[in-house]
Amino acid sequence: MALTTAPDPTRRGPGTDRAHAERRGPGRLRHSEGLAGYVFLSPWLIGLMGVTAIPMLLSLYLSFTNYDILTPFSEVEWVGLANYERMFTADPSYWHAVRVTLTFALIAVPLKLAAALGVALLLNRAWRGVGLFRGLFYLPSLLGGSVALAIVWVNMFNRDGAFNSLLSLFGIQGKPWVNDPDWALETLMVLAIWQFGAPMVIFLAGLKQVPTELYEAASVDGAGRFRQFRNVTLPMLSPVIFFNLVLETINGFQGFTAAFVLSNGTGGPVDSTLMYTLNLYITGFTDLEMGYASAMAWVFLLAIAVITAIFFSTGRFWVHYSDGEDR
Amino acid sequence: MHPATPPTTDASVGRSHRTSLPRRRLLRGLLAATVAAPLMFGAAACGDDDGGAADPNAPVKLSIFWWGGDARAKLTEDALALYTKKHPNVTFEKTWQANQGYFDKLATLTAGGNPPDLFQIDDNYLAEYAARNTTLDLTSYQKSGKLDTSKFPESLWQYGVVDGKLAGLAAGENTQGLVYNKTLLTKNGLPEPTTGMSWEQHIAWAEQVSKKTGVPGTQDPSADYKALWVWLRQQGKDLYKGSELGFTAEDVTRWFDLWKGARDRKATPTADVIHEGNSSDVTKQLVVTGKSATSWVWANQMPDLKKNTKDELGVIAYPGDPSAQWARASMYWSVFKGSKNKDVAVDVINFLNNDQEAVKLLGTDRGLPSNLDLRRVVSDDTTDPAMKQSIAVEAELTQKFGKSPQVPIKGHSKVKSELIKAAENAQYARATPAEAATQFIEACKAAIA
Repeated sequence: MALTTAPDPTRRGPGTDRAHAERRGPGRLRHSEGLAGYVFLSPWLIGLMGVTAIPMLLSLYLSFTNYDILTPFSEVEWVGLANYERMFTADPSYWHAVRVTLTFALIAVPLKLAAALGVALLLNRAWRGVGLFRGLFYLPSLLGGSVALAIVWVNMFNRDGAFNSLLSLFGIQGKPWVNDPDWALETLMVLAIWQFGAPMVIFLAGLKQVPTELYEAASVDGAGRFRQFRNVTLPMLSPVIFFNLVLETINGFQGFTAAFVLSNGTGGPVDSTLMYTLNLYITGFTDLEMGYASAMAWVFLLAIAVITAIFFSTGRFWVHYSDGEDR
Repeated sequence: MHPATPPTTDASVGRSHRTSLPRRRLLRGLLAATVAAPLMFGAAACGDDDGGAADPNAPVKLSIFWWGGDARAKLTEDALALYTKKHPNVTFEKTWQANQGYFDKLATLTAGGNPPDLFQIDDNYLAEYAARNTTLDLTSYQKSGKLDTSKFPESLWQYGVVDGKLAGLAAGENTQGLVYNKTLLTKNGLPEPTTGMSWEQHIAWAEQVSKKTGVPGTQDPSADYKALWVWLRQQGKDLYKGSELGFTAEDVTRWFDLWKGARDRKATPTADVIHEGNSSDVTKQLVVTGKSATSWVWANQMPDLKKNTKDELGVIAYPGDPSAQWARASMYWSVFKGSKNKDVAVDVINFLNNDQEAVKLLGTDRGLPSNLDLRRVVSDDTTDPAMKQSIAVEAELTQKFGKSPQVPIKGHSKVKSELIKAAENAQYARATPAEAATQFIEACKAAIA
């Protein structure tokens, strides 16, 4: 989708030049080469068509029907825009889920990126054992959206979990974090932020590409560490920040596993963890309103597309690609 | 998860201009695939409809799906092995899992055109499936005697009738049971609760337990539809009347108020602990996690609860007049309407309910055996003390049972989850009982509309 055009500075390199050179080669090769290309692509193409594209198109169709999973396709009734109308006018829990998801993304994504950048800056120095630390900080994101991790999280942030034991050492009376409607979503945010390894690695790669001459020049001009960070690191890193921002925002909106596990698939306590995707899942699979759930999925897709488009259109004001072409 | 692109990936793909010919071909291929897909779906749908009256000795592989724990799996597998022993041509493809997620999976299997021939279902979903014609109407089998319900209590098999069709056959009978921690009470010299105590008396008793033992006396069941249901029936109301709700916002307000009072008197745990107990998971019930002295469950869950605690447990009816309780089909066996092996599947249901050996093997794991003759045999034979207890209390209650209510209607699963939401809103003091009740009624009306 739109992502394939995301400017990714890590893609630069000698390989690109070679590819350019080959493309300028004799024309008669093109046809058979193209065919071979598709043959090699076919496993992915078949996967894309069968597992993604066709079901997606079907879900678009279903979003205009009252499909309820149990009724065969042939008996599904066309309901026009009724599902969309209901979503926007008559479903308070839908809007509640939208609010929960926005809150989650607005807080968790910036903090996660800040954590990733901060740790990447620390790990960018050459000191002994830095490789080990890079590995350790990356570890949590290898566990990804795993169910096991979410279960551990729930037990750590229970009323009698490890976190409260830690607090009690300092004489602080903890809360039943995961079972408290005021704190359950925050607990999920902390989990998301803690898994900053993937953007961190990309930040690290970006930091390595900043030419050291720039820092040397800056320090000759008398810039301190902070000014160097502000006026050299941040601008040079802006394409990477942009890339991470887009990806993490999309990931943030799609958070599902942890919320599902924490709430036993209900979005509780009192809907405090009812993320958009969880609400969609419950609507489709528990309440058996798959047509309505499909409509929710399409609105979600459009919303993410719009947000991504906004990122791209504002990107030209703060993303600098000046270093790109001179190598 | 994270689509981090390896640094060496060729960035030029997006800029390529040489693909006009293959792209056209690709589009044509796409079109073909899009057209072919429905055809394939269609073909699959056609394959379903060949009754199954062929050679009775032809090999049959019957798929069967249920929820439950390890113990149930063992018992069920033994009983099915016995069927295979008697009918060597029939083998089983068995799938089972925990209750949580079971109905998601069942719905998905059905949608994927691959539903099990035979599946376990309960009254929370029976109407949903029956109303959508997913279950086979068993009436003709019952009439021809292939499905023998002559030894069943009339009201029990009738609790499987939805819109005049026998959508599922009771796999056992149970009723609401209030389970309490006997050890805790004895240790503290407290009286055990008894069937017939009023709700007020129950709450007063629970308050006393909290004070004396430090363990909250009773789980607050205001989020529990089966407790609300019994309470409503005692007020001359019901959960459903036809296709409408059988109660009003005022009723629910009174119900929520009753339990707000109990929480204020510290007869119950705090909201976050109540929330833990609101899970349908047996292992999370507060009476076995030691976080309250009583839990509100189904009587046949006694043996399962017992496995999760060292303490002695007791079981009685819910508070108030016990005639508000009824002989409920704890769960049903249903046959998928499109199954190729309908006759065999029905015969297996008949076997699991009416074959003495099979019923003895299964015991009371799915509730008291539906067949009254065999229920007596099982009651006499059982040695498991927890099972004995639940049989005893159900046998006692059978004398007092009232008329069965109608099977919950389509939309019931949503009503159940909305009740949890509304009750928890009141429990966490985010809404007054009246506000929570109004919110619940609104949500229910939307759910069953």
